[in-house]
Amino acid sequence: MIEVKDIKKKFGRKQVLNGVSFTANKGEITCLIGINGVGKTTILNAIMALTPVNSGEILLDGQKVTKQSFEKITFIPDAITMIPQMTIAEAMEFMDDYYDSWNQNRATELLGFFKLKQEDKISSLSKGNTAKVNLLLGLALDVDYILMDEPFSGIDIFSREQIADVFTSHLIEGRGVIITTHEISDIEHLIDKVVLLDEGIVLKEFNSEEVRESEGKSVVDVMREVYKA
Amino acid sequence: MIVKFNNRDPVYVQVVRHFKEQIARGMLEPGQEVSSRRELASQLKINPNTVQRAYKEMEEQGLIYTEKNSPSKITRDEDVLHRVREELILEAVDTFVTSVRSINVPVDELLELVKEKYDHQSDEEGGSAHD
Amino acid sequence: MMRYFKLVNFELGRFFKLYGVIIGITILSQLVGLWVVSNSYMERANYAMFEENLSPAQFVSDNGEMSLLVLTRTLWFLGPIALGAIALLFNIFFVWYRDWFGKNTFIYRLLMLPTARINVYLAKATSILLMVLGLVAIQIVLLPVESVLLKWLVTRDFRLDLAPAEVVSGFRELMIILPAGIIDFILAYGAGIMVIFILFTAILFERSYRIKGIVFGAIYVALATGIFLSPIILEGIIGTNYLYPMELLVLEIILGLIVSAASIWVANYLLTKRITV
Repeated sequence: MIEVKDIKKKFGRKQVLNGVSFTANKGEITCLIGINGVGKTTILNAIMALTPVNSGEILLDGQKVTKQSFEKITFIPDAITMIPQMTIAEAMEFMDDYYDSWNQNRATELLGFFKLKQEDKISSLSKGNTAKVNLLLGLALDVDYILMDEPFSGIDIFSREQIADVFTSHLIEGRGVIITTHEISDIEHLIDKVVLLDEGIVLKEFNSEEVRESEGKSVVDVMREVYKA
Repeated sequence: MIVKFNNRDPVYVQVVRHFKEQIARGMLEPGQEVSSRRELASQLKINPNTVQRAYKEMEEQGLIYTEKNSPSKITRDEDVLHRVREELILEAVDTFVTSVRSINVPVDELLELVKEKYDHQSDEEGGSAHD
Repeated sequence: MMRYFKLVNFELGRFFKLYGVIIGITILSQLVGLWVVSNSYMERANYAMFEENLSPAQFVSDNGEMSLLVLTRTLWFLGPIALGAIALLFNIFFVWYRDWFGKNTFIYRLLMLPTARINVYLAKATSILLMVLGLVAIQIVLLPVESVLLKWLVTRDFRLDLAPAEVVSGFRELMIILPAGIIDFILAYGAGIMVIFILFTAILFERSYRIKGIVFGAIYVALATGIFLSPIILEGIIGTNYLYPMELLVLEIILGLIVSAASIWVANYLLTKRITV
């Protein structure tokens, strides 16, 4: 379980996170929703110790994130985290070099799944394919938790569908996933849990099936209520 | 297999309903194996946890059964199968009656219309199958 | 530890093309320079002998002998060295900032490697040091080669053959990059490594606190330099040489080690607790 406990963060005078708390379970897809600039990316960065928080605590399975955690949790930012001059094959080799959790079989499978050619240079890829390589490099790690920042933004519809398919496959199954988005429609049926953010706080944290069951509301219905209030 | 889910009913309820329709129409036969949780999730493009929940619900309702170490199968229990069909028909009729009642149509006229429309639609479906 | 070596290898690989170009320019420029300088010297000598009827000895006494020292004072020789120095100095900054800026954000990957982040810092420093040493090694190999070449280009009467060490000691500025003794070598490069560490840590201040970090970084550099040079500054203020040269040397070595260790320690703190992507 990933526990985010009352984290606060300021950028200059701007209070970006003002006491954010939520949890994300293993085996579930948790979706952080909020308009752009609401601090979603900052939360993911903070979980990965890529940016300091002013107060609060983040725990991964009850422990603080250390270097060993990176064999257990990975982060797929919205831009590719590999050197563009590398080919996909070289990028995979790099990952294999540093991560014990790298699973080349799964990487090869993902290459096929996304129809990518490993001899292609990353810099020569389309936006959609670059996003897929970025995803591949994260998903091929045998980690328990995966964080994804806006995996659907700024790419073509077919790539979006392909990426959405990942969420219903064994590539994600059993793992804990946190994804951020400002646009829910692509993935409404995929997610287990929703965390609605605004102005640096969590407005509501709920289970999407429970809300449908007990209140007959869609995720969008709840968002409408919460954000209008 | 493409199923259009609505966003307001629990997805697992919609999956169960989808199975009932398939059973009632004979698309799924008694004793037939159903897809694994993972397969179904990627076919329907929904969360594997939701499929899990749907299977659990179907198991409780006796629609499917699981023997040790083998995939789940559609029940052979005639009573259950019969009940599924009845339930779906009743549900559809209920909806129909509710919406038609507001127009105050005499029941005889209504039945005549229903029969006519129903035959016509079946003809069309039969006809298009020959094309 | 393995990951540190892999990172060093990786960092070297990333700069390798540019490094190769610098090496290429150095070799080419020095060899071509030697050829040009020698030929023009011989031309002048021949002209003097045939047109002005000077003897070789007279020409030499007027113009000096042709030796590698003549070459070392030309742009042919100094240009590539300056180029290499500037490139590597630039690289101290480039090696960090390119990971933050540009289309990719490779710093995410580096900071998410399952290894202590200080390894990234040490690997980057090591790669720069290795590249400096590589250039120096090439210079050490080049000098004897040029010595031989000189023998082909300039006849015995006009030539002063110098051993590589003599060339270096004949040219003070060169002594900094090619120290004569092992102690000098360790001192020169030890100081160099310390400078890399101080600058790296200042860069990390900036990367951690951004605009405020520039101030912190500048203060850090001033502080580190101040501590390192404090005995010399103090002696300057007092106006007497309080310490024997040997004592001063030992003190400087100790202070250098302290400043380097402190830089690594601060960098480790910044990388684990304060860095922001």
